[in-house]
Amino acid sequence: MGHHPSGGHPVSRVLDLVYLACIWVAGACIFFMSIFIPWGIFSRYVLGTGAQWPEPISILLMVVFTFLGAACSYRAGGHIAVEMLTQRLPSSVQRPLRGVVHLLMLGVSLFMLWYGIQLCIGTWGQSIPELPWMPVGFTYLPVPVGGAVTALFVLEHILLGDQSRRAVVTFDHEPAQGAA
Amino acid sequence: MEAWVLLGSFFVLILIGTPVAYAMGIAALIGAWWIEIPLDAVMIAIANGVNKFSLLAIPFFVLAGAIMAEGGMARRLVAFANVLVGFIRGGLSLVNILASTFFGAISGSSMADTASVGTVLIPEMEKKGYPRDFATAVTVSGSVQAILIPPSHNAVIYSLAAGGTVSIAALFIAGVLPGLLLGLTLAIMCLFMARKRNYPKGEVIPMKQALKICADALWGLATMVIILGGILSGVFTPTESASIAVLWAFFVTMFIYRDYKWSEMPKLVHRTVKTLSIVMILIAFAASFGYIMTLMQIPMKITAALTTLSDNRYVILALINLLLLALGTLMDMAPLILILTPILLPVITSIGVDPVHFGMIMMVNLGIGLITPPVGGVLFVGAAVAKLPMEQVVKALLPFFGALLLVLIAVTYIPALSLWLPGLLLN
Repeated sequence: MGHHPSGGHPVSRVLDLVYLACIWVAGACIFFMSIFIPWGIFSRYVLGTGAQWPEPISILLMVVFTFLGAACSYRAGGHIAVEMLTQRLPSSVQRPLRGVVHLLMLGVSLFMLWYGIQLCIGTWGQSIPELPWMPVGFTYLPVPVGGAVTALFVLEHILLGDQSRRAVVTFDHEPAQGAA
Repeated sequence: MEAWVLLGSFFVLILIGTPVAYAMGIAALIGAWWIEIPLDAVMIAIANGVNKFSLLAIPFFVLAGAIMAEGGMARRLVAFANVLVGFIRGGLSLVNILASTFFGAISGSSMADTASVGTVLIPEMEKKGYPRDFATAVTVSGSVQAILIPPSHNAVIYSLAAGGTVSIAALFIAGVLPGLLLGLTLAIMCLFMARKRNYPKGEVIPMKQALKICADALWGLATMVIILGGILSGVFTPTESASIAVLWAFFVTMFIYRDYKWSEMPKLVHRTVKTLSIVMILIAFAASFGYIMTLMQIPMKITAALTTLSDNRYVILALINLLLLALGTLMDMAPLILILTPILLPVITSIGVDPVHFGMIMMVNLGIGLITPPVGGVLFVGAAVAKLPMEQVVKALLPFFGALLLVLIAVTYIPALSLWLPGLLLN
């Protein structure tokens, strides 16, 4: 249950790699967005060509990091939740409630996976006006992928316990700030 | 009935501890099922919730703020504020407030402001004889300025939640005067307290050193000139100006200040991915929640209910303020903006209040909520940085709440505070 920061169940070690992959892809998205949009400005004012692609590509990158990053934030226990009430309940009530929340999380991530795939298939034939070669369905792909990764992390949480103290997850904590 | 299904299930989901973002999605699914809307429609709303150009400004502003806060900018802004007001009695408390004003001009995050300004100034203030709880109270209440003073990513979220009818530029400009008023009110209060409790004066910084500090800080403060200048002149859109701010922050931190280690970058990126995805996923799911709410005509019904209660706009504004304050103590800012804006905006426009003005009212209210228990993110960070129990910080904060409420009343009932500057600059 997270007492061995980098060890633990082999499945969790595999999911560490998934976590790292997602967070690096998400980080790369932010990096490229921060270059593409200024490039768009440069091409408009300096080159005079006014490139069309930086805007839709950056929006796509934003969608990618939103859904992959949110999955990572789930594993890190970072999402905003109201714990005022549940913290005050006796642990005999807290446990089943937490179970319910896990199941709901699993449900909504599977919804993202299944309906997300349907949405991608349904819109694969259409294309974005600025980028004729890109199917609209492709731009929705981050939704089912994010849903799948979240579902994996939820299952991990249900079967193997909280993973928010693993070394890969706490890697970015500032030494001074501790639990804050 | 259908409204109760949607809002009731959302409420229950939140109370049992479901992450707010996902709770909105689940409630939207339950609501859609109840009024027999195909679930695909909910999926489309979620998927389209985050693919908007204006939303790109949020990651850029947050990233620029993170780079500048961690890259030594906060320290330099504190030094700069110290040159300007440090020599007055109670100087360090004024330095604290002014540093937050400057910090607000490069970042919109109160949390980052409290963490970075507090880490530098709380120990420093204690060393010079200020009580630690007072220092913490000054830090957290001063950090509310960051939400109002442009750039503010919460203003971008509000603009989105208002359905794009309110321009980001107008909201940015509108925040300037309320933000400065807030800083000024707090500063005046600190001056009085300093005189009464005999807090120390700082030293006048010698000219040569002062010039060096100013030059150092101006590199950072140029960010605001780039952002506001770009937007006001029409050279950049707000989103584009935000992306330029990122490049500028990176350039200044890495090539001018040069005290940030490249090896720290991966950590900064990891942290930023988390901070951002938490906000962005909220926006995605809020889109589906808002969609079902609109289908159920909930905003219309609430408008009708509120306006039958009273047709006096001052009374309605007071009621809305109370509602925002109460909810603000319980929940974080971004989800409340996303949930409440579509509900309250029709009420507000029906009594003739400008949406830009209402945006400012909302920012001040929810900003106060960030530093009030039981749930106040900035309060938590402040207490953690100061290593004080939350109760002690809250006790020291009591007079500051008074000052903040005065500012709230002024912003609510003097529309010109929010609307005069945008009217002057944007027409």
